[in-house]
Amino acid sequence: MSVKSSSVLLTGATGAVGSELLRRLAARKETTVNALVRRGSTRQPDIAGILRDLEPVARVVVLEGELRDGPTLGLAEADLNALARETTHIVHCGGSTSFTLPLSEARALNVCGTRAILDFARRCDNLQCVALFSTVYVSGKRSGGFSEDDFGDAGMGFVNSYEQSKAEMEEIVRNAMHDLPVLLLRLSTVAGDSNTGMVRGFNAIHHAIRLVYNGLAPMIPGDPDECVDIVSSDFVADAALHLIDHGDTGVFHLASGAESSSSLADLIGATVDSLVRFRPAWRKRAIEKPLIVDLDTYDLFVRSVEEAGNEVMRDATRSISTFAYQLAHPKLFDTARTRAALDGSRIAPGRALEFYPRVVKYCLDSSWGTRPC
Amino acid sequence: MDRVTDYETGIDAIAEYLPERVATLGELDAAGLLGGSAAVLASFGFEGVHLAGEESNVDMAIAAAGKLFAENEIDRDEIGVVLYATALTSSSTMWNAGSASAMNGAPESVLELSEVSDLFRYPASRLQAELQLRNAAVIGVNQLGCASIFAALRLARAMIVAEDDLKSVLCVSADKFPPSHKRDLIYNVVSDGACAALVRRGAARNRIVECTHVTKGALWDSGSLENEILAAYFPTAKALIERTLDKAGLTIDDIALVIPHNVSLRSWQILGRLIGCPLERIFTENISRVGHTVASDNLLNLRRATESGRIKRGDHLLLFTFGYGLNWACMILEH
Repeated sequence: MSVKSSSVLLTGATGAVGSELLRRLAARKETTVNALVRRGSTRQPDIAGILRDLEPVARVVVLEGELRDGPTLGLAEADLNALARETTHIVHCGGSTSFTLPLSEARALNVCGTRAILDFARRCDNLQCVALFSTVYVSGKRSGGFSEDDFGDAGMGFVNSYEQSKAEMEEIVRNAMHDLPVLLLRLSTVAGDSNTGMVRGFNAIHHAIRLVYNGLAPMIPGDPDECVDIVSSDFVADAALHLIDHGDTGVFHLASGAESSSSLADLIGATVDSLVRFRPAWRKRAIEKPLIVDLDTYDLFVRSVEEAGNEVMRDATRSISTFAYQLAHPKLFDTARTRAALDGSRIAPGRALEFYPRVVKYCLDSSWGTRPC
Repeated sequence: MDRVTDYETGIDAIAEYLPERVATLGELDAAGLLGGSAAVLASFGFEGVHLAGEESNVDMAIAAAGKLFAENEIDRDEIGVVLYATALTSSSTMWNAGSASAMNGAPESVLELSEVSDLFRYPASRLQAELQLRNAAVIGVNQLGCASIFAALRLARAMIVAEDDLKSVLCVSADKFPPSHKRDLIYNVVSDGACAALVRRGAARNRIVECTHVTKGALWDSGSLENEILAAYFPTAKALIERTLDKAGLTIDDIALVIPHNVSLRSWQILGRLIGCPLERIFTENISRVGHTVASDNLLNLRRATESGRIKRGDHLLLFTFGYGLNWACMILEH
């Protein structure tokens, strides 16, 4: 993208990662950012909000479309043709990161949406890169190492529809690698900005923090010593743009890897320590750290909560269960290719435990995104 | 400085009283005495409970203590203190034991007493009189929910250790649930019942090795904080049990039998896994048959386990309970 007169089609510009990319792209000279937002959605004001404190240098255009319309992207033919002629880079962050959608809906958003983007990419004569965002959790219920050359769950199954839909998405992306300059970026869990703790998209980890804060998370499955991979949103955005700028193609893990991950026990400890530190009154509630338990014990607990029918506990447990079962399948995400590509760039995932407390603080200060801070 | 301890203080005798009347879950449900599903409670390990009829809370306490004296050769004059432990606030009064207000129809709780004098009619004193324990001073132990008897046992040992001339303390617990109220509380079914235990210097059995107790006052409001209470239960229980074992210099593998409170079998399946104790080493037989007798469960279960021959001399036993307030209590005995 260092090539002059770049024109970037950006989807998911209002999401946790897309918004970080938008802010960085908007600061670039001789760049056009065509931000595709869902027609009829209220996303346009969000984009203005994301850029509020910036003076964009780039030309930012909001396009209303619909990925589920297929290769037309929900655009008029003339607009689509013009976009195809102009586009040099596609950065596809759109889709759903919900863990609780029915599989059919997750597929419609993540698989069909990506297929539409790839079909559109084939119409772009000047295309230099199509960057697609996926997740390291396409590995599903695998345990152990997962490299940038690995694909899918190896038949082990998935914890939620998000993982499965992304794995299915990668199948069509693999095929597209033969004829398109595909950069497939698998993200770890994005916690927030490493400097400010700001969270632009609240996800499972933030909901888990809230449940701990509310004293509604008695136990989670896993091994205390297993690595938990979380990354900052600024690392993800900086690394993604670096790889796009350098014309890299292939699969890259934007994850903390063995070097920067923390153990599950340490992460839970940091959560509790941060809650005490930033909300001293919270200590009065005498809430215990969630227990880390084996999968059978957790299953028994979940089953009991479901049978008991207590709605608050059931919702809390279901919320945790959408991702917590992943912790019962510990794995380590290899980042060798990413580290090599970023070598010398000074872009690296910070140590999770160094920036994570700031994320907890942001969650508290913003009341999980319900009030400005 | 070494801790002052009398290593011979223990629980020398136990007796219980359970009302004759038994109601199954189905009968409770039909009588409108269950708030939740009978099927769920059955899946959690309950079958039925004992229901007091005419007998009052203090009647049950007297019956349990009377049985203790009837079954054991105890010099009543050796008892220097009665610790009368109650879980329900109403159990600290004689609200349906011949009080003026009771004669006008038994009130459902202490708050419904119509005469101020009723508030000063104490079951502990009446028990002392009925059992002719002339040397015993009486002390009420309450506000710990189902953990109240643990506090009484702990205090009894501490008093015996501290006072040279105190040889025996009678600990009594009795609770009668308000008759027309729902019997299921946070997925447990409440039974009426009472127990009595003699804590004695130079006890022949059940040496009290360690007592621990944690209170989380932030969770005092059992009505509005039920979810938080449910969530706090397991982590705190595991932490307390492990701390108690550690203080005693034992591991869970050293425990021959866990003597539980009669909350749901499911909860013990989970807690057993959390503390590394297989269900076979938890005495759960009474959960289905007796239900949760509020504060009397553990002593009642200790007696039954002893009678069943599952315990032999020298075995280490771990007793654990949980009470509103919010309290968790644990005790290790050497049988």
